Amino acid sequence: MKPRDEQELPIIRIRDCLLVSIQIELHDRLALELQTALAERVRSQGVRGVILDVTWVEVIDSYITRILNDIGKSVRFMGADCYIVGIRPAVAMTLVEMGVELDAVSTALSLDAALEKLEPRR
Amino acid sequence: MRTVESEIGSILAGSISEITQRSIFRRLGGMARAQLQHLSTQDRHAIQAELESSVRLFAPAKSAQLIASCARALALLGAPAAAGAPAAHGDRGAAAAGMAAPIAIGKDQCLAIDGEKDIASARLEAWSEAVRLGLSKLTSVKVATAVSELARNIVFYAGKGTIELRPRQDLRETRLEIVAADEGAGIEPEKLDAIFAGTFRSERGMGKGLVAVQKLVDEFQIDSRPGRGTRVSCVFRGAR
Repeated sequence: MKPRDEQELPIIRIRDCLLVSIQIELHDRLALELQTALAERVRSQGVRGVILDVTWVEVIDSYITRILNDIGKSVRFMGADCYIVGIRPAVAMTLVEMGVELDAVSTALSLDAALEKLEPRR
Repeated sequence: MRTVESEIGSILAGSISEITQRSIFRRLGGMARAQLQHLSTQDRHAIQAELESSVRLFAPAKSAQLIASCARALALLGAPAAAGAPAAHGDRGAAAAGMAAPIAIGKDQCLAIDGEKDIASARLEAWSEAVRLGLSKLTSVKVATAVSELARNIVFYAGKGTIELRPRQDLRETRLEIVAADEGAGIEPEKLDAIFAGTFRSERGMGKGLVAVQKLVDEFQIDSRPGRGTRVSCVFRGAR
């Protein structure tokens, strides 16, 4: 395993979308790197959307929410859509209670559902 | 003769079947037949630990109450406080109703928060403590989220500090008290007012974090002195 400072999140291309599965602790530097890398690849690869999979994130606090929302904003500014998928039930209810906003991203139940929304099959 | 088996057996009777009780006592071996007053403190703790895991497994609904009764029988806890003792939450009339003051159920933990890496571990510690106390799945996630917020505030604004987890219970409810303390710059009273009025946002979102914690918990208290540090105490309650 790489030392913590060198960890990075792989960005995977699926159809016309970019997928990031968040499985490690997001901290400031990592979040900024992810935001930058996603913005660059949205532009260079001309994708329709970015999907952030948080199935493995057991706790989403206001800081993580803000990171996700910021990523969503930058992706949207570039003309692509940003989806968060896999928010757990208890996490969703906690977010509601905390009163935090996640308004720059769309959400979908699963990766399949997000792909379907981003690239409806004709 | 007050043996472990007879004393604990009378507590568990009605909540755990005799067959299950026998298997619990079998696991305790010789200690089960020992006389209560002859047990060392170490033995008492070992018996309590064994009972705790069994009770949680076989009588989850009443586990908190049974565990406290067992601890009292094993003299790991003092007698319930006399009626009239100040209750931690007077509004619920615990003292007036002759209820016991909240007692510790399990060790208090003090987690050192020294850097970003400690945020995740504090959150995990808090989560497992909530699960151990038998709090609901949702409450446990809320506990972990609140501790995450508090730990972040410490790391971002004070550099280092501590988060203390104190499991408590009285006859009415299980309580997890969380105290986050640091000796950082503190927050000026005007700023604190602005945070809770929703008109203040720091660059990294401290205002949001504190407000989020306040919304998640059942009891909330913040004490901050500019130049001296900040102390946030909060409580999660769980039904018993």
